Amino acid sequence: MHLYEEDVLQADAYIDALLAARSGTPSLLPDAELQPRPPLRQLIELLADGLPRFHPSFLFEEQLATRLRSAAMGGRQDPADLVPGDVLKLPVSIGGGANMPAAALTLDRRLLVGGAIASGVSLAGAAMLAWRIRERGRIRRRWLA
Amino acid sequence: MLRRGKEQAEGRLVHFDADRPAVEAAKRDPRRFEALYRKYVAQVYSFALYETRDHHAAQDVTSQVFLRALAGLPSFRERAEPPHSSFRVWLFQIARHTLSNERRRDRRHPVAPLDLAAGVPAAHDVERDVAARDELSRAWKAIEQLPADKRRALLLRFVGEMSASEIGAILGRSEGAVRVLIHRALRSVAQQLGRQRN
Repeated sequence: MHLYEEDVLQADAYIDALLAARSGTPSLLPDAELQPRPPLRQLIELLADGLPRFHPSFLFEEQLATRLRSAAMGGRQDPADLVPGDVLKLPVSIGGGANMPAAALTLDRRLLVGGAIASGVSLAGAAMLAWRIRERGRIRRRWLA
Repeated sequence: MLRRGKEQAEGRLVHFDADRPAVEAAKRDPRRFEALYRKYVAQVYSFALYETRDHHAAQDVTSQVFLRALAGLPSFRERAEPPHSSFRVWLFQIARHTLSNERRRDRRHPVAPLDLAAGVPAAHDVERDVAARDELSRAWKAIEQLPADKRRALLLRFVGEMSASEIGAILGRSEGAVRVLIHRALRSVAQQLGRQRN
């Protein structure tokens, strides 16, 4: 075998042995004469032992898991997966007037989960107030008439 | 001819993908894809982070890889013959394409060097720890200057802990060519470290 090929195979076998040892697989390091020469061997040891594996943040991992679950369900979002801060797209139909078909006005309303209760209460309060003002005006007009 | 006859007589070793049951389950029910996602998310993210050197970009690439893998899973076929294709190889092929597209898009944006020290756990022997970190940091700087294929081959070998055969299938090279590529990459990094020492 050509000397260079021998060097290449020795380096490969040495990397295999080090990586196997690191992952807990029982392995034997090649005999000293079958190991790569010192500068290469030291570098292989340094990289096999020193290059860190990075892990994504827990938050990112869970958010992506939720996206994948939603995609796996054909875009439908499992309500059990919703967490405060998630944004849901809700189709809202606006009843059209005489010249406007209702279907022509379907908007995507976004609902912020978590803020939904607070927003819902505020909207209901505003609607109630508007209704009372309108009713008061109507009663006053009826009185004056 | 003689070799083929010998192989037939002895029976051929067929590569078995340890992920096959999980892949089959995910093909039947896409919600089962989560098991594969949990198994490989850190590996894909780590590879993406080394390549992009930016946490946000690595997260973006990781998301794209898994969403594409989920969408493309029905078309994935395991291959026992060379070039082998296991689920992990296929996933990293998607990662490589995604990273190439990202790089094309972000070519104009300079990237900061990756701080490897942040990911290295501290050892008890502080002096030795500092020396090792320093040596690793210099080695990484040399690796960063390597051509993309050499750098990727080294990362997949040392960080992804993949075999030359798997790396070959990801990079579109033969197993032997990958061994040579890694050896050349190691030699050039070792030479650079030696020059710095002298």
